[in-house]
This record gives sequence, structure tokens and C-alpha cells, in this order.
Amino acid sequence: MLCVSAGSARCGSCCSEGRGSQRGRGLQHAEAASTEELRDVTRAALPVPSQQPQHFHTLQSRRCRMWRPWTYNDHFKEQDVVESFKWQRQGIPFGAATSYVHLKKLCEGSSATVYKGISRINGQLVALKVISLETEEGVPFTAIREASLLKHLKHANIVLLHDIIQTKETLTFVLEYMHTDLAQYMAQHPGGLHPCNVMLFMFQLLRGLAYIHRQHILHRDLKPQNLLISCLGELKLADFGLARAKSIPSQTYSSEVVTLWYRPPDVLLGATDYSSDLDIWSAGCVFVEMVQGQPVFAGTSSAPEQLEKIWTVLGVPTEDTWPGLSKLPKYKPELTASRRPQRLRVICDRLSRAPAAEDLASRMLTAFPPGRISAQDALLHGFFSPLPPQLYQVPPEQSVLTVPAVRLQPEICDLFTSYRKGRLSQGSSKFW
Amino acid sequence: MKCPGPPESSRLACFLENALVREARIWKAPVFQNLTLKGTDISPSCYEKTIIWIAEISSQFQFHSETFALSISILNRLLASARLKYLQCIAISCLVLAAKTNEEDEVIPSVKMLAVQSGCKRSPAEILRMERIILDKLHWDLYTATPMDFLNIFHALVMSNWPHLLNGLPQTNPSLHVAFLTKQLQHCMACHQLVQFKGSTLALVIITLELERQTPDWFPVITDLLKKAQVTSTEFMHCKELVDQELMHLQPSNAIYIFCPISQAIQGDTEAKFPYHYPSELKNSHQVKLQVAVSQPVSAAVMSATAQIPDGTMETDEYYDGFRYLYSEDRGADGGRGHMGGLCPQLKSGGGSSPCPPLQPPGRE
Repeated sequence: MLCVSAGSARCGSCCSEGRGSQRGRGLQHAEAASTEELRDVTRAALPVPSQQPQHFHTLQSRRCRMWRPWTYNDHFKEQDVVESFKWQRQGIPFGAATSYVHLKKLCEGSSATVYKGISRINGQLVALKVISLETEEGVPFTAIREASLLKHLKHANIVLLHDIIQTKETLTFVLEYMHTDLAQYMAQHPGGLHPCNVMLFMFQLLRGLAYIHRQHILHRDLKPQNLLISCLGELKLADFGLARAKSIPSQTYSSEVVTLWYRPPDVLLGATDYSSDLDIWSAGCVFVEMVQGQPVFAGTSSAPEQLEKIWTVLGVPTEDTWPGLSKLPKYKPELTASRRPQRLRVICDRLSRAPAAEDLASRMLTAFPPGRISAQDALLHGFFSPLPPQLYQVPPEQSVLTVPAVRLQPEICDLFTSYRKGRLSQGSSKFW
Repeated sequence: MKCPGPPESSRLACFLENALVREARIWKAPVFQNLTLKGTDISPSCYEKTIIWIAEISSQFQFHSETFALSISILNRLLASARLKYLQCIAISCLVLAAKTNEEDEVIPSVKMLAVQSGCKRSPAEILRMERIILDKLHWDLYTATPMDFLNIFHALVMSNWPHLLNGLPQTNPSLHVAFLTKQLQHCMACHQLVQFKGSTLALVIITLELERQTPDWFPVITDLLKKAQVTSTEFMHCKELVDQELMHLQPSNAIYIFCPISQAIQGDTEAKFPYHYPSELKNSHQVKLQVAVSQPVSAAVMSATAQIPDGTMETDEYYDGFRYLYSEDRGADGGRGHMGGLCPQLKSGGGSSPCPPLQPPGRE
């Protein structure tokens, strides 16, 4: 009974959320209403916490599907929700399923479903990554790696793991809540991102990478989907399920890592002794994708095709340009049909617009792995020279957006949208 | 062999620093008292048997030596609250967790297979239940620095800072040398008197004893490493004494570590000494990998019984590949395999008429 009323109350807030984003002027009112309703939810839900979440999110996900999965106006309401949760702080334990309320389903993957939720412990918004446990093999190795690595990574550009909840059938990671990811952000802003934002995102991506590489950890699955973005423009690396710690001496690793389009040529050729250069290639692909609005080496479905795509741009390597090439497991001599390297701008014309962008991209997208720039060196590349120098002094656990004048710029298409609505562009993040 | 330059050395220092931080954060020494492990009913001999058993399964599944070391580190953290009747189940679950953490996806065996092949009398369901209990107990914090990590780091530091020290080694390249030391370390890890020492101390002691045997110039090197590793000298001396005694026992079996299955004549000899038998299908179902553990000569024997010489060199070769990168040994032109071909004859000639290269008894000064 209580569960049902909780569900419908939240649904009410969904509706107001939808309305809010459709007509801007009703926003204030809708917010107030939804806060009110949410407060009811929490009051109603508390007495029977044990049975509540299950019903709650099933109802939730069914109803919410009607609305856009991401509404940036959310942010403002969230502040109120956060407020409303603060009074309940005492006596709620970490590690208990009842300490978190599922709000809505964000995405569903093969092994995990992610919900937006709220913590009763401190009122913060959280992402709840619910992993179903396999009966045969127990806790998936991806979960074990993600948890044990994330526990050691405290950095403003790495997603934070708040808590882990074990129940009989599921495992829930309580992660820091982020508003969107780079893939969605790019989908909403087609045709390439604002050059300043590319710089801002790229700087943060490399900052996070430099940090994990200093800790001798390889991410091994960098792609836009795994780069989370907050409404302020903070970028954080997420999904450390394939990541692993490097050891001395380097073990040989699996070559079945990284999503095909972001996989470096050495790994495509079967190399297993890769190092941090693996992540740099993927980051380079993400960089060009942000600039151009299109994945740089995309559209293929097999490793040979992917290599072909890379060689058309970089030229086919030889033993001279890449010592050791012919020793790689999947190397085929017929590859040697000569093809001349081209400049990256031939396939990505927008690279020529930003000074030094093409140079940085080509240093990251170098076929010979030891030739790739390191994350630390890339941060010092001339491409970032327009950014204020204080960025380099920001402590690791502090966001670079705390530096004055560093902020997300409105994307061009947002400006058009807001003009069309007859409103002034205020350069605020809410008009993404 | 090219010597890694200064950037390599600072990279290693950074590795060491990270590892020390990870070790310090969770370090808690298990204490043996009144014939049992403090607070439990586990006797030293049970403990040692368990470690040896884990080592055997680990090599049977061809896990990296780091995986074995990690499983023991996890186990040691749990010992204080363990009961003898659960010890086997805890131990095998630790190995499952270590494999999931450290081995690649395609190498991790199914829990069922591990339960059956290890011969433990626990059902997969029991192991999985224990897995979750362990994760909960350790707060999912499995990313620790093992003695094996330290051994590799110290060895690499010595190789990069004082490359001339190890010139007269019987093991003609650094990777074979580490493999030799790994064997000693694994032996020490199964010794209950040594559980009280941190992995960093234990690894440093093993390196020290080796350097003492090999070179008169060991002292400044070790002082430097002691400082870097922040190991106190009393603890270090105490550990060194115990390890020295312990390795005496190991001495006769040193020979098993020698990798020289090149001549068929040797095979009978090796097999006679090691009457283990490992199912040969393991070889096929898993990626062939480094065996530093007890099974190395055994598997070499198994392999070369059926295959020609290059295959017989496979194991050390794979291990060597890992090090090749570290020590930038002919990365390009030669490649790991080619190099090994040249190595074996050297080993052979170094050993003179004996099938084994000359090994010094550990106590010799």
C-alpha cells in the first residue's frame, strides 16, 4: 500500500519534471511541487524500507520511460531533494540496501543496470550500479577489479565509489552520481563540440589518466560511454571492470580489451605486452571524436577491418617505423602494400581549426606504441596553452572547474535552441 | 642487455613507493602462539600444508606467481578469525579471488573446475559463499602489494642501479635469476615463522642473501634498498636469520629450479626426482605461461617428452617475455624466442658436464 503511494507520488514528480523541461516558465512552480511530493515519498517509504526499493524502481522505470532519460533541469530539483533528505541522516548504516532509494533507471547493460538514486545517509544523489550475481561463477571478476581498484583511486577525475551492498542475488555499487556521459553529450551536440569544451574535457581526461597511470593502473576500456560528465562540465573516468594493475615485470595481458573502435593497432595485431600507451590511443580517438563529432576509426566490426581503417590514415607501418612489428602474433606480411600516411586533418577537417590540436592528436594516435605521448606529457602540450596555468596547481582531489574562468561553454546548438525559445542565452550549464 | 636508464629507475622507485603504501595500509601480522595461530585452532603445520597445497593448485592451473602470492596475502589477512575446519575452503576461495583479480579473463578457470581439480572437498556453492564472506570481511580491498611484487621491484631496482653486480650469475639473464629467487620466496611464504614479516622485508632479505653470495659489494646496495623500503634493521636482521636457516632446507631441491630440458638425457633425471604427474590436457586448455612454482621442471619434462626442443623452452620463454620488456632486452630485432635459443647452450656449457648450472649452496660465503 505504502509502496504504491510512494510510486505514484514519484510519478507525479516525473510529470512535473517533464512539464518543467517543456515550458521553462513553469519551472519554479513544478520544482516546488516535486520537492513536496518527494518529501512525501521519503516519509512514506521509511517505515517499511525492507520491501520498498524493489517495487519502487520497477514502477519507476516503467513510468519514466516516457520521458527523456536525461533532463538537465534535474539538477535544480535535485538540490531540493538533497535538502529534504538531510534531516534523516542519523543512524542509517553504510552497506545496507535500505540506505539508498532508487529513483529511476538510467541504463541497462549486459551485466549491470544503473539507477539514479539517493542516499539516506547524507542525502547525496548517487548512481546505483546493480550487478546480478551469476550462480555458477559467483561475483564477476569485473566487479572485483572495479571495487578493489576504485577503493584506491581518489581523484577529481575518477568516479568515486561510495559504498557496496551485497544481497543474496545482487551486488550494488553506490557510485558518485553524474548527469550524463560523453557519448550522450556528443549525441546531443552533433557536429563537434565547442573548442573550449573539447579542451576542458580533454584536459580532465588526461588528468585522470595521468593519475591512474602513475598508480600503474590501466583502464583498458576508454570510450565516450565510460567518461561521465557532470552538469558543471566535470569529466570522470568510470567503469573499471576491465582495468588492471600493472606489475613488474609486465605480465602479458589479454589482447581482447578495449571496444574495437578505440583499440590501438598493436593490440589489434595481438600484442599482449602493452602498457599505458593502450589508454593513450583510446583517449586520442575520443579527442578526435569530440573535435569532429564523428568517431575517427569507426564503422568496422572486425579487427582486420579496423586495422585497414587505421592504415588508410596513418599509412601502413613497416619494420623501420615500428621495430618488432613483424613479430606480432596477428601480423600479416600482405599488410605491407605501401600506403602513404596522411595528415589527420584529411579525415578530420576540424582539427585544423584549433591550434596544435592536430599535433596532439597525431602524437596520441601513433601506431608504434612507445612513440605515443604519455598522459603527463600530453597535459603539457601546447594545445592546452589557452587554459589558465593555475590548472596545473589544482590538487588531485579538487576539480579543475574550481579555477576561476574555467567553465563549460554553451554549445552552439544550445545557443540556437535558446534563441528560438526567445530567451537570452545566459551561458549557463543548464542550457546544454 | 641494455641497462635501463635513470627514468626507469625513478619509475621503479615510484612503483616501490606505491606498493609500500598499499602494504602499510592493510598490514597486520598473524601471530603464532602456543602451538596455534593466535585466536584460532590452526597449527603451524596445518598452515604450512595449506600454503603448499595452494601453491600446487596455482601451478596446476598455471597461474602467475603473483596470483599465488596474492592468494596467500588474502589468506593471511583472514587468518586471525579463521577456524581449522574452514581453512581449506577459505584457502581455495582466496585463490579464486586472486585469480579473478590477477589473471586475464580467458585464463580464469570456472569455480567448478577449480573445486574438482584441486581435490578439495568443497562444493562450488560453498566456495562461492566463502568468496562473498571474504569480500565483505576485507571490504573488497584486494589490491594489495604481495611479497612477489616486492621481490620483482627490488630485483629490478638492483638490475637498473647496479647492473654490474649480477654479472657473474649462473642464471645468465635477469628473468631466470628472478625465477630462481621466486622459488626461494615461495618456499619462505609457506613457512610459518616468516609470516610475521612484511612482504617487503621478506623480499628484501631474499635479495640480500643472494647478493651476499654473489658479490662482495652488496653492502651499500642493501643499505640503499633498506632505506628506500623503510625496513627497520632489527626486523630485517631477525628475518634474515630465519630465512637463511629456512633456505638451507631448500638447498637440495634448488636443482629442480634449473631450467635445462634441452637434452633428452636429462629428462629421465628430472622425472625421477619429481614423480608428480599433471594431466597433460591442462597444457592445452590454458594459455601456456610462466611457471615459477614447483611445477616448472615437471611441466618442462611433460612438454619435452612429447615435443621438440623449442616447445620445451616455452615456459621460461614466456616468463622471459615479461622481463624482456622491463629490461629492454632486444625488443625489436631478436624477440624473446630467438634469444632463448641462444641461452640454453650457454646454460649447458656453464654447467659443464653436469646437467645443472653451477648453483652455490645458500650458506656459502
